[in-house]
Amino acid sequence: MTISWLQAVLLGLFASLSSMPDMGGSSIGNYTLGRPLIGGLVCGIILGDMSTGILVGCSMQVVYIALVTPGGTVSADVRAVSYIGIPLAMVALGSYGLSAASTEGAALATSFGTMVGTLGTVLFYGTATINLLWQHIGWKAVEKRQYKKLYLVDMGLPWISHLACSFIPTVIMCKMGADVVEMIKKALPMDGIAMKTLFTVGALLPCVGIAILLKQIVKQVTDFIPFLFGFALAASIGINLVSATVVAAMFAIINYKIKMLSVNKAAVAADGFDDDEEEI
Amino acid sequence: MEKKLSKKALTKSFHNWYYRHLTCFSQEHMQTFGYLCAMLPLVEELYDNEDDKAKAMNTYTAFFNTEPQLGTVVVGITAGLEEARANGAEDVDEEAINGLRAGLMGPIAGIGDSLVVGTVIPILLGIAMGMSTGGSPLGAIFYIIVWNLFAYFGMRFMYFKGYQLGGKAVDFLIGAQGEALRDSISMLGGIVIGAVSATWVSVTTSLQLLNEEGEPYLVLQDKLNDVFPGLLTAVFIIICWFLMAKKKMSPIKVMLILVVVAFLGVLVGFFNPGLAY
Repeated sequence: MTISWLQAVLLGLFASLSSMPDMGGSSIGNYTLGRPLIGGLVCGIILGDMSTGILVGCSMQVVYIALVTPGGTVSADVRAVSYIGIPLAMVALGSYGLSAASTEGAALATSFGTMVGTLGTVLFYGTATINLLWQHIGWKAVEKRQYKKLYLVDMGLPWISHLACSFIPTVIMCKMGADVVEMIKKALPMDGIAMKTLFTVGALLPCVGIAILLKQIVKQVTDFIPFLFGFALAASIGINLVSATVVAAMFAIINYKIKMLSVNKAAVAADGFDDDEEEI
Repeated sequence: MEKKLSKKALTKSFHNWYYRHLTCFSQEHMQTFGYLCAMLPLVEELYDNEDDKAKAMNTYTAFFNTEPQLGTVVVGITAGLEEARANGAEDVDEEAINGLRAGLMGPIAGIGDSLVVGTVIPILLGIAMGMSTGGSPLGAIFYIIVWNLFAYFGMRFMYFKGYQLGGKAVDFLIGAQGEALRDSISMLGGIVIGAVSATWVSVTTSLQLLNEEGEPYLVLQDKLNDVFPGLLTAVFIIICWFLMAKKKMSPIKVMLILVVVAFLGVLVGFFNPGLAY
């Protein structure tokens, strides 16, 4: 599989839309187009192999399932993962003749995507740094009371940052990627230590993604129980994800009702009347 | 005459925030420019005098950064406050508005990061990945539709609640009911993530001991699965959690450690992805 100029340009455009700091707002950009699962769909459509795209996207999505950017610090860049990593992984799978649905295919995709995503953080900081220029123009506009100019500063000029840090890098990487993949393939034989390590890392990396999420949820050891409960549902009982969500929702509702009992009791005790108003 | 913000101006302000809150992000000012753009339609409607406009806009040049989805409530609250200020409310001045903004952005970022980014999105992605098993586009489409409707109408709701209720709007987020709700959603998230891990993450060992005839008498992976199916996967996840939560390591550092672990594991034969041409 090779990537044509037109395909590379389209990928570059989506990279600009999806990246953080994002054009179009974080709901559409970062949290929709930037998610590897959606990136997989988009890349799959652009490159003409939707099901491979989605399978690759799913594999990478696990690593980045909870990509939180506290205070604007990033450990991976979604535009690089979704619009450089996924296309290159698809090219690599094609070149190695691996199916994206196989465990090896998923491991290769994950290794590729994570490598690209980590290197991609430089794009994030690059964009944010160039934006300082536009903000400088913005402050001048505020001083001179030319407030309409703020729209240009917030909406228009950052596209230049994206041209430099999203569009051009994506186009170049996607165009050159196929050759690099061929080079790696020649240099590193599949049964050598290097490739075995690469594939093993691919299988281990999703653990980090899940652990980032657990960091949010687990405050004490007993908080591991819901996680292990869900794990057992799928691994031991073999329940699929949608059903697991329904079971989980049942427990969440029970938990909410119990918590609210004590909240309402406290409210009654505190001011003698029951505030039954539900705001949600 | 009492000044009242029109629905049109409020909607425009909300849309400015919704589409542009992070477009001109820098490490120095973060969401400040998005905030200015969100306030501009309101300021233009409330004040005719250029000096008043300048005074109002200057208020919002103060640094702002929070979790943008939930943070919409803060924009809504300041819309209400700006209206009150335009009507001559004495206790609403620049200091009061910025005090409130600064006071809210921390807690709302914390709640938003764990609730929206750390729970709601992973749950939706978990379901979507379940639907996309085998390469079907169904899950991806499901996520696009559900998340965007949720984000748009959720943020719209937050904005107008903030505008109507002012500071009270955050009570239900920070208050006891909000706490109970968050605790329950986080439990839901925990269970779903457990199921996602068991379905999508697979750490296996190839280690086996052979007897004299060369037949394996101990296949470690099977033994481990007899104890708890997927035990090795769960153990690796918990180790990663331990390194990040307890040892305060960055995700990238943990990833590098995994590279070393993988390399050593391959050398001693603990890991073998079973590659062949």
